[in-house]
Amino acid sequence: MNNGDTEQNGTAPASDTSRRHFLKVLGVAGAGAATVSCGPPDMGDKLIPYLVPPNDIVPGTNVTYATVLTGAGPEPLGVHAWVRDGRVIKLEGNPDYPNRGALSALAHSTLQDLYDPDRIPTPREKTNGGWSDADWDAAIKAAAATIGSGPTLLITPPVTGTAATLYAAWADAVGADWVAWEPLGHEAMRASNDIGFGRSELPQYDLAAADHVVSFGADFMATWLAPVELAGGFARARSLEDGHPAKMTFVGPRLSLTGMNADQWLPARAGSEVAVASEVAVALAVAHEVARRKGGGQAARVQAMLAPFTPEAAAESSGVDVAKIRTLGEEIAAARAPVALPPDVSGQGVYATEVHLAVGLLNYVSGAIGNTVRFQGGPRRGQSASYAEIRAVAARMREGDYRTVVTAGVNPAYALPEASGFASALNDVENHVSLNPHLDETAAKAGWLLPSHHELESWGDVEIKAGEFGIVQPAMQPVFNTRQREDILLQIAVQLGSDLGATDYKTYLQNAWRAEAGSNFDAWWHGALSDGAVVTSGSDQSEAAPPLTAAAANYTFTLPSATDGLSLILYPTAQFFDGRGANRSWMQELPDAVTKAVWNSWVEIHPETAGPLGIETGDVVRVTTPSGSIEAPAFVYRGIRPDAIAIPLGQGHTEYGRIAAGQGVNALQLLDGTADPRSGALAYAGAAAQLETVGGRGGLAIMQGSDSDLDRSIAELINVDAAMEAAQAHHVDLTELVEAAWDSDPKSPYRWGMTIDLNACNGCGACVTACYSENNIPAVGEDLCAQGREMSWMQIMRYFEETEDGEFQTVHVPVLCQQCGDAPCEPVCPVFAAYHTGEGLNAQVYNRCVGTRYCANNCPYKVRRFNWYTYEDAYPLNLQLNPDVTVRSTGVMEKCTFCVQRINRAKIDAKSDGRPVADGEMVTACMQSCPTQAIHFGNLKDPASTVSRIAKGPRGYGMLGELNTRPAITYLKSVTYAHVAEGGHGGDLGGEAEH
Amino acid sequence: MVATSAAKRSTRNHMATAEHEIPDLPPLTLAEANDDITRPIEAPPWRFWLLLSICGLGIAAAGFAWITQIREGIGVTGINNPVSWGVYIVTFVFWVGIAHSGTLISAVLYLVRSGWRTTINRTAEAMTIFAVMTAGLFPLIHLGRVWYFYYLIPYPSARLIWPNFKSPLVWDMFAIGTYFTISLVFWYLGLIPDLAVLRDKFTGVRKKVYGMLALGWQGSVRDWAHYRRLYLYLAGIATPLVLSVHSVVSWDFAMGIVPGWHSTIFAPYFVAGAIFSGVAMVITLLIPLRWAFGLERYITKYNFDNMAKLLLLTSLIVGYAYAMEYILAWWSADPVEIESFRWRATGFYAGPFWIMVFCNVIVPMSLWFKRTRNSLAALFVISIFVNIGMWYERFVIIVTSIAHEYEPGGWGVYTPSWVELTIMIGSFFWFFFWFLLFSKTLPTISIAEVKEHLAHQQEHGQ
Repeated sequence: MNNGDTEQNGTAPASDTSRRHFLKVLGVAGAGAATVSCGPPDMGDKLIPYLVPPNDIVPGTNVTYATVLTGAGPEPLGVHAWVRDGRVIKLEGNPDYPNRGALSALAHSTLQDLYDPDRIPTPREKTNGGWSDADWDAAIKAAAATIGSGPTLLITPPVTGTAATLYAAWADAVGADWVAWEPLGHEAMRASNDIGFGRSELPQYDLAAADHVVSFGADFMATWLAPVELAGGFARARSLEDGHPAKMTFVGPRLSLTGMNADQWLPARAGSEVAVASEVAVALAVAHEVARRKGGGQAARVQAMLAPFTPEAAAESSGVDVAKIRTLGEEIAAARAPVALPPDVSGQGVYATEVHLAVGLLNYVSGAIGNTVRFQGGPRRGQSASYAEIRAVAARMREGDYRTVVTAGVNPAYALPEASGFASALNDVENHVSLNPHLDETAAKAGWLLPSHHELESWGDVEIKAGEFGIVQPAMQPVFNTRQREDILLQIAVQLGSDLGATDYKTYLQNAWRAEAGSNFDAWWHGALSDGAVVTSGSDQSEAAPPLTAAAANYTFTLPSATDGLSLILYPTAQFFDGRGANRSWMQELPDAVTKAVWNSWVEIHPETAGPLGIETGDVVRVTTPSGSIEAPAFVYRGIRPDAIAIPLGQGHTEYGRIAAGQGVNALQLLDGTADPRSGALAYAGAAAQLETVGGRGGLAIMQGSDSDLDRSIAELINVDAAMEAAQAHHVDLTELVEAAWDSDPKSPYRWGMTIDLNACNGCGACVTACYSENNIPAVGEDLCAQGREMSWMQIMRYFEETEDGEFQTVHVPVLCQQCGDAPCEPVCPVFAAYHTGEGLNAQVYNRCVGTRYCANNCPYKVRRFNWYTYEDAYPLNLQLNPDVTVRSTGVMEKCTFCVQRINRAKIDAKSDGRPVADGEMVTACMQSCPTQAIHFGNLKDPASTVSRIAKGPRGYGMLGELNTRPAITYLKSVTYAHVAEGGHGGDLGGEAEH
Repeated sequence: MVATSAAKRSTRNHMATAEHEIPDLPPLTLAEANDDITRPIEAPPWRFWLLLSICGLGIAAAGFAWITQIREGIGVTGINNPVSWGVYIVTFVFWVGIAHSGTLISAVLYLVRSGWRTTINRTAEAMTIFAVMTAGLFPLIHLGRVWYFYYLIPYPSARLIWPNFKSPLVWDMFAIGTYFTISLVFWYLGLIPDLAVLRDKFTGVRKKVYGMLALGWQGSVRDWAHYRRLYLYLAGIATPLVLSVHSVVSWDFAMGIVPGWHSTIFAPYFVAGAIFSGVAMVITLLIPLRWAFGLERYITKYNFDNMAKLLLLTSLIVGYAYAMEYILAWWSADPVEIESFRWRATGFYAGPFWIMVFCNVIVPMSLWFKRTRNSLAALFVISIFVNIGMWYERFVIIVTSIAHEYEPGGWGVYTPSWVELTIMIGSFFWFFFWFLLFSKTLPTISIAEVKEHLAHQQEHGQ
């Protein structure tokens, strides 16, 4: 065992020498390219068999490495990188991490970032009007020379663990300032927790234990704090398996992905001022209730703090019906374990800290602090400069305080509003060295590009929670001639004559862990790499439920008044986050959870606002604020207040790559750059905006035809009481087993089936991107999407269902091939390209298909996808292709196969062990990725299998069951606390005869 | 010579029954008839070459479009999810429909001894052949991978897989293949005596070619007896095909579960529609042909009046079917079906729907008036309307149904691309190209039957 190399995870036995040998063989061409520095290594066009095959490389078998993604959204995600022939082809969640084996769509798309042809392939120097390639030695020397010549500023993303130590030490050694910064930070949360509880950390929100979640605009299922972990927690709370499901209330001007999943919506006015009011009002109401019912000093104390407020005044200010505020207060007071979540950046205005504090107080009076909100064991995130601080840094840059700026993994030139002055200040700095892997807006301003590795090519560690660390290890050789960011810094330090204890980061990292490891470091290190995680003895001993501080008790809240006109809301999306997802075609082509639009930006407008202006979805509108204006297609959306308009963030790149550049608009231009004075957080919300029509259609490509399922047993929604009653009264119908047998060969032990719990599914789209990654699905571009030629095998339909109170509920329905027992697609194929396998799958034989497309016409679920062209990935994106799945070419029909390649792998494994495939052994890509575990897969012929048990549950139904297509997918009806209107496109239990 | 006398008897019987039906021809000698009908074949004027060149250019444009499609992928069309059948299948069904009345006129009217077919059956049959030839191209053009079209053909191959006989597309191939074969043989058989006339008329290469095609026809009693017998049998075989072909084509749709397709009325509905469009096309072709070749003495108002009546009858059937589709949708109480038909008339494709109704149901109502039926100009215009209307009928049935199916989230619309439209228009040039060639190389009216008729007239001293 060589202790210098990476370690495979879990089951695959490690033999480092041979793996290393293998990578050497594979990387020969790459190494050659590295020395001559001429573009990406050319390793894709030759097939040379091994003369002596490495021991642990079995052709056709994945080698798995455990590592951590820190750059795939707000939370660090534990992953298992599946490596085939030296290339990472798929990421699966690591079950030992808080993400519990699930991943987000953005995390899957990290692979496209790894293989992005737009990455900077080699060090480059800006010369007259262009870039000229350089070799690393020259680049390091040049960078060291500029850094050594005067005051330097290093800007990195927030980091934890050893990297934080290194950056600080490096800054010390070379005499630089180090600023860690991220665009969608948590300044307001930290500031308010500091005021309220004397703790500036982020708390742990235990949604799984909650019975009433009140989200004050927190899009915790998509972008806020830790979406994969929180969505999973909420799904467990929402489950009907063990008792009554948790309720969710959403307070805010716009229904985000999370808001769409709420049981009730209190549409509080946009802009922080009014948001504060509503939040405080709720807190007040609760305080009244708690005081009345339970007594106690806490509530009385809060009540005193909030004395200026009455529910009526809050209602007036927020625009929410006072009765609803009172009811919510009563519900929270009556709840066993309520939790309130403060707003994300979309609700972050100039009163952001007050909003957060109000929510904190609400959690305090409701007893959530220490229970569902714990400061002990909260997520560790690196310290990050606030917006106000980075603005101050920009001012210093402008004043010439820094001779050199080093940007490493951050893109402030894009992610800060123009009004912050950062981008122009960057122009004023004499030297700019960028370590960014992409030529993004920031790197484009640099004089030297020293491209750093992707995370999957890097070493590192990350603190997940106090005392819990994840180890980052490279899963493959670098794709391009890049170096690890920390190595670059260390090498610069060496050039400048500083000794940081190591000259490469791997050694530095290992040194940092030596103390923890004890006597046998090698064994310890391999174990840590194999698990991907380390738990140290030092754990969080802090108080779980700190008391209110004196500062909080004396805090004076103000009641903001309502403003006239439209207020602007900018929000991050699950697919682009802060903009980092924009150069990945999977993310551009992932339909937005709310609008189902792809490849663009849009302006969400309420029908009442759009109507008088004659605006329809797709019409181009202009949004103007004092700071700027943008033009984008409108999306008419009933889930937003009439006095607000919302625009997603993350698009409108001018640089960054071929896919991102020119797509949509960067709405940050509309901000005047004001900050919340208490926390220094950027005010994303609340700007007054003008809306006007421009004329013309913007061609917003929307991937869903109708927003209503017309009551066709596609999206079914039932009231929670009906669901609970039915669960008790339910009896399993044994005839189903017989029918399941009929759908496959009687001699086959398997009939593969799936269940999708619509009550758990929140529409985040992780499954869709997992499917792209697993099944080599091409992204086709905006024009083809607009023509209805998207290739996604799995689409999440978002249907609105009317409720009795005149509101609506949203049901997200993942629609994929139903693998019908009696499939309409099969008999119409003239060449048997669509046929029924013995295990009940609707197979599609690509090389028999002649492309009559009759099967697609005859599929009632519209899940078949035709290859209108041959779609080819630019090198090196093609290296990501899964070798187990055929890459399809023009003229061929395709569709979901239930990951038949994984089924076959499971069967082969089982056969070599001489046993049948065990329940839970076979996991489809979508199921593996699902943060809410909405999807289950297994053998319907086994009455004891999980999937059989769930499918026979009282909420199960087959989509369009009356067609008698006998789908292998059983959907479980979505459950809501709202009352579904009669004939309001919802279903009710008992009346149907699907089963 | 029992056979000969039997043949004679049968001929006489035929003549006797036909007597009442046949319109009076002017008193011509047999030689005059020969000359009149074969005159266009002798010296094609420059106009012919011009028209033929225009058709050639149209075909070349369509060929270019098809090559583009094969090179780039079927994505150059406008079809998408969910509308994966578009103009190609519409045009395919349109041409199959056109092909219908040829056999109806030649075989069915022959069997029922409708004498008015005599002077138009040759043209109608030619139209059938060329229409099937045109239609047959479209399933190929439509294929995603046309280079593997032979996967549909059942022949013992190394692939060891037969086509799926459950698929209506395979039935289609057989139905159309059969229809084409029978129609071609039937047409060719009817041509044999006329080819002999041409053989005798010309010298040189043409004599050789026509001579070979005439298969040594001598006009002997024995020849005639066999000819008559075979013609009758073939007419008998062809007749059920009139019903079967378009029934099978309709099953391409009716066998699907698509609301708007899945209907038991489709077979008769399509057959009626096919005859409707076919008769309209015969009128469209005959009116200019009669003028250009000076055949007014042979193709008379009597012929057109009868065809107009057939047009009116089938228009009524088609109109009834349109109404019936709606009544069935309502009667089914199936919300999916009802929504599909509601959208058809009021949704994105309301334009094509009402064009269809106007052209196929409203315009032909003018044929109730004898004045309209006797006005060639009016008939020509109406026939064009019907041609357009019937193309739109197929568009409405095919496209609107799949655009608006069961899964509302999957709804979408389709607009044809230039490639599809070029190929669609090119198919008309292709059709007319063959028709022009036919009109200048073969007699457009059956000389034998006309002469028979004249002989009969003279025998009876008319």
